[in-house]
Amino acid sequence: MDALVVSIWIVRIAFLVLLYVFLATVARVLLRDLRAAASERAVELGRLVTIDSPGSEPKTGSVFALDTVTTLGRDVNNTIVVDDSYASGEHAALTWRGRAWFLEDLGSTNGTFVNGGTIDGVQPLGFGDEIQVGRVRFRLERSSR
Amino acid sequence: MTAANSLSGTVWSTLVRGVRAADARPRPRESLLLGLVAITLVVGSASLAATRTVRSLAPGNGSGAVGEGSAGTPALDLRLADPQGLVAFLAVVLAAHLLLILAGRRTDQVLLPTVALLGGISLLLMERLPAGLAGGSAGLAGTQLLWLTLSISAIAMIGTIVRGDAWLRLYKYSWAAGGIALLALTFVFGDDVNGQRLSLSVGPFSGQPSELLKVILVVFLAGYLAENRPLLEQESTRLGPIRLPPLPYLAPMAAMWAIALLVVVIQRDLGAALLFYAVFLFLLYVATARSSFVIAGSVLFVAGAGLMARLFGHVQTRIDIWLDPFADPSGAGYQVVQALEAFARGGLLGTGLGAGLPTVGGRLPIPAVHTDFPFAALGEELGLIGILAILGLYLVVIERGLRIAAAARDDFQALLATGLSLVVGVQAFIIAAGNLKLIPLTGITLPFISYGGSSLLANGVVIGLLLALSDREVRAPARPRAGGSRRRAPAASSARSG
Repeated sequence: MDALVVSIWIVRIAFLVLLYVFLATVARVLLRDLRAAASERAVELGRLVTIDSPGSEPKTGSVFALDTVTTLGRDVNNTIVVDDSYASGEHAALTWRGRAWFLEDLGSTNGTFVNGGTIDGVQPLGFGDEIQVGRVRFRLERSSR
Repeated sequence: MTAANSLSGTVWSTLVRGVRAADARPRPRESLLLGLVAITLVVGSASLAATRTVRSLAPGNGSGAVGEGSAGTPALDLRLADPQGLVAFLAVVLAAHLLLILAGRRTDQVLLPTVALLGGISLLLMERLPAGLAGGSAGLAGTQLLWLTLSISAIAMIGTIVRGDAWLRLYKYSWAAGGIALLALTFVFGDDVNGQRLSLSVGPFSGQPSELLKVILVVFLAGYLAENRPLLEQESTRLGPIRLPPLPYLAPMAAMWAIALLVVVIQRDLGAALLFYAVFLFLLYVATARSSFVIAGSVLFVAGAGLMARLFGHVQTRIDIWLDPFADPSGAGYQVVQALEAFARGGLLGTGLGAGLPTVGGRLPIPAVHTDFPFAALGEELGLIGILAILGLYLVVIERGLRIAAAARDDFQALLATGLSLVVGVQAFIIAAGNLKLIPLTGITLPFISYGGSSLLANGVVIGLLLALSDREVRAPARPRAGGSRRRAPAASSARSG
């Protein structure tokens, strides 16, 4: 009888211990995952994915990591050079203001489009929005953190 | 019947297309964790069986008379309680694991083992509760096993099949309309149980639509907030010192608040209303990062709750019980008092699986232990240490959900993942805190542990969607473009700049 009580006590405690072994293993997996994510890249505010580009600059599918201020246009001094005949020299600027992205048209000839509509002034953007400069279409995406 | 057949045919063919042996990708972490889950559950089952042996020995005949079927030597007798049930459950989990391996997607590897452990603990708990409680001829454990099987299958199938989110993102208003219709149907045709109209019967099946509704709510809120996030961040309306976003965009939010209140008034479902409202506030905060919304929402909640307590007796009763359950320990406060005593009996290490819950006069001290009070039962049998581990499991689900949200590629997927994980986490918190008399008790299920088909299935869908979202290759639908805009830009060719 005593042996039985002891063995019951042992399985009981073993069950509790195993619950924590599971949690500890999960915690190790999660920590490794977090460390990998942390070392992956310095803080990146967002990225611009080229989804459609008729020309060679930028190429369709190319991805740009965004800085707090990113300018787009045909001029070579822009952060992202859009070598498209319908794009202006200084076409548009993407700015990160605290907690959201904003897009501004810099007086381009053919306008800047967000999700198919022209913008006037400064327009707030959400991740997943589509931007069109000239004939080149980009999508604003969150970086993979 | 034919419709059901063709539907299952479609699902099957999609599944077969989704699973190609060539794509198989090993999931080492999931395999490791599932191994641990299997060992833990086997030990738990052995613990349950050993306690039963002692119980059959204990009363009266201490002279070595052996309990039914025991192997003579009462030493280390490692039999399992209901081995078929446990093996069947582990087989289902293994099948889900293999399906996910064959699907070859880079999906999360922690969620399935965590849910499997919660489900296994639920199975152990249901096995030791008296069969007469619910579940019909199959008994509590049998019925629970069936629903757990369906739930785990839902996780594996959604985690395998769902490769795009357009069906959720583009039809958010349709989903919302469906949800409201479901609510209305329940109100009109629902079955009355204890003065609450919560369940809906279709033929032989009955379920609680509010469980499904919570998933629909998260889908709608994620879609709506992702679409209108920039607008909600503007501060165009001013109400004295309070700055509000443009009023028309607040209307769906106000509607949401009204629906939560309606659920309380008409359905008397306090738990669901609290869950809906809490998840709504969380998502609003995550989407806009403005604490003023949360403060305003909380003030509205307190005002609404105060008003409800004044107007409706059942709300006031709940609050009275919460404030002082010992005022009427054998009547209104009975269950809460019994739950508190169960926690007290459990102490730090618990009484051991199967050793808790003494029956009082042939019936359980807590009548609703399998649906509303499993946390109290586990608190008694596993002790503080055990329930802390179980709360830890829910924390793991929340952590995974938030990580998936942080890695999502756009706002909709991020908000959806946040909402889905919070809906599970907040629900677990509401009922656990209710059991512990931290907040007023509201009848709601403990995800993956409580007895109940609709709850298990709905939570299975939630975890399945989280798995699908954790794959970064989930496609977002192409942006709908305003008519002719594609042409407009190139058409201005005469106005080239340079």
